[in-house]
Amino acid sequence: MIYRLIVKEFTLELRRKSVISGIALYLISLVFICYLSFSLRLSVISEAIWSALFWLAILFSVINSVAKSFIGEKRGLSLYYYTIASPKAIIISKIIYNSLLCFILSLLGYVLFQVFISDPVQDTPLFFLTLILTSTAFSSALSLISGIASKTNHSNILMAVLSFPIIISILLMAIKVTKNVLDGLDWSASYDELLNLMAINCILSGLAYLLFPYIWRS
Amino acid sequence: MKNLNKALLSLLLTFLITFSSQGQDAEMADVMRSEGKIYVVVAIILLVLAGLILYLFLLDKKVTNLERMINEKRKTK
Amino acid sequence: MKTWIKILGVLLLFYAHIAGLLMEVPRLNIVNETIRATYFHVPMWFGMVFLFLMSLYYSILYLRKPSLELDIKAESFAHAGLAFGILGILTGMIWANYTWGSPWHGDPKQNGAAIATLVYLAYFVLRGSIDNMEQKARLSAVYNIFAFAAMIPLIFIIPRLTDSLHPGNGGNPGFNMYDLDSRMRLVLYPAIMGWFIIGYWMVSLRIKLSKQLDILLDLEDEKLK
Repeated sequence: MIYRLIVKEFTLELRRKSVISGIALYLISLVFICYLSFSLRLSVISEAIWSALFWLAILFSVINSVAKSFIGEKRGLSLYYYTIASPKAIIISKIIYNSLLCFILSLLGYVLFQVFISDPVQDTPLFFLTLILTSTAFSSALSLISGIASKTNHSNILMAVLSFPIIISILLMAIKVTKNVLDGLDWSASYDELLNLMAINCILSGLAYLLFPYIWRS
Repeated sequence: MKNLNKALLSLLLTFLITFSSQGQDAEMADVMRSEGKIYVVVAIILLVLAGLILYLFLLDKKVTNLERMINEKRKTK
Repeated sequence: MKTWIKILGVLLLFYAHIAGLLMEVPRLNIVNETIRATYFHVPMWFGMVFLFLMSLYYSILYLRKPSLELDIKAESFAHAGLAFGILGILTGMIWANYTWGSPWHGDPKQNGAAIATLVYLAYFVLRGSIDNMEQKARLSAVYNIFAFAAMIPLIFIIPRLTDSLHPGNGGNPGFNMYDLDSRMRLVLYPAIMGWFIIGYWMVSLRIKLSKQLDILLDLEDEKLK
């Protein structure tokens, strides 16, 4: 069931080409704005600024792309899901699908940063591990929030308002690890933060799994 | 018991050492205290606190009254 | 709420204010006389955590067994906790300006408190934007639990990892033996207890009012029928 739901998400996504290209364009313009406003290539930015800029760009594009996972859906469609699938299967499939989406987006963001700004990453495996961990954390937090926000009157504003305080701790950890990676520090230096990210992942995905049925009921 | 005493004694000693070394020279509002003017400040703060709490008490009474009135009204219907 | 508990709370607060201003305190450099702010600033923080925990508790109860009363309780506790949090942040800013040199010093605990306040502001925005009472109660309970869980690393783990300007930096985020000697505990703990009671009292008033308002609305509905 979960597998079929994920496949369905992908086919739906691939059918709506405009949405994908829209998100990609959003990310590209964000990175380009960063590039222009810092007038880079002329001046070198520090590692701290690189990681902060990178994660901010990722954050905004991820919030925009995950927000539509429930908000964009038609009322009839959700009623249809309600009859064929259990809420737990739905939230798990959404989380898995969204984390893949987030991971692809952050990869794209990394490539764009390489092209436009610079590539100070020294320890690529560690950096990728961070990307994977943060994208699963982002997706489990944002999937549930998107479910809440879709039931309200001003869902787009609420999506941002509700998700920012929850995302902050993930973002802080990610920025710190990334800075460690850029500084070329050893794995042991960011061990604490990685463990923390894992813990956040477990808490958020577990809670999303437990709480989602309550949202879905209405 | 002996161990406890020893622990307490060492605790006391560390306190004494930290406080004696951490400088009796740290600047405090000693003058204000010795002149007794600190009591003015204490009195004012306490009065404000008492006033606010009295207000809370009266509000509490009023809400309780309201509760009773509404309950009676509901019963009569 | 029993009257004697209220009176106990009031007495504890009076004791804390008198003793907090008049008792001997450790002579420390930099903080000097402002060490007394501990008695008034720290209880706000404890009160906020206590009230938010109560709000969380009622939100969990609500999801287990929905009833309007539990929702009113969760909402009222969150409301009072927000007030305590804002007061805690403001008093902290005054104190920080004196001892650290600027009102916002990027201290992890300060940031954590600010984010906790943001979470509950978002909670009230969420409540404000749903019309259906039952749905409002359920969604805000879900958000309350989720956001609280997301704050745990922020408040309890990150301050332990990073250096904090607050006492007990690194390791234990609370006060340790050297920061708070036994004389200060004699005032601080009663102050915290006193503010717990006053906070609870304020919340109980708000709960009473909300319940009555609900009854009135029901009466109006019956009249229309």
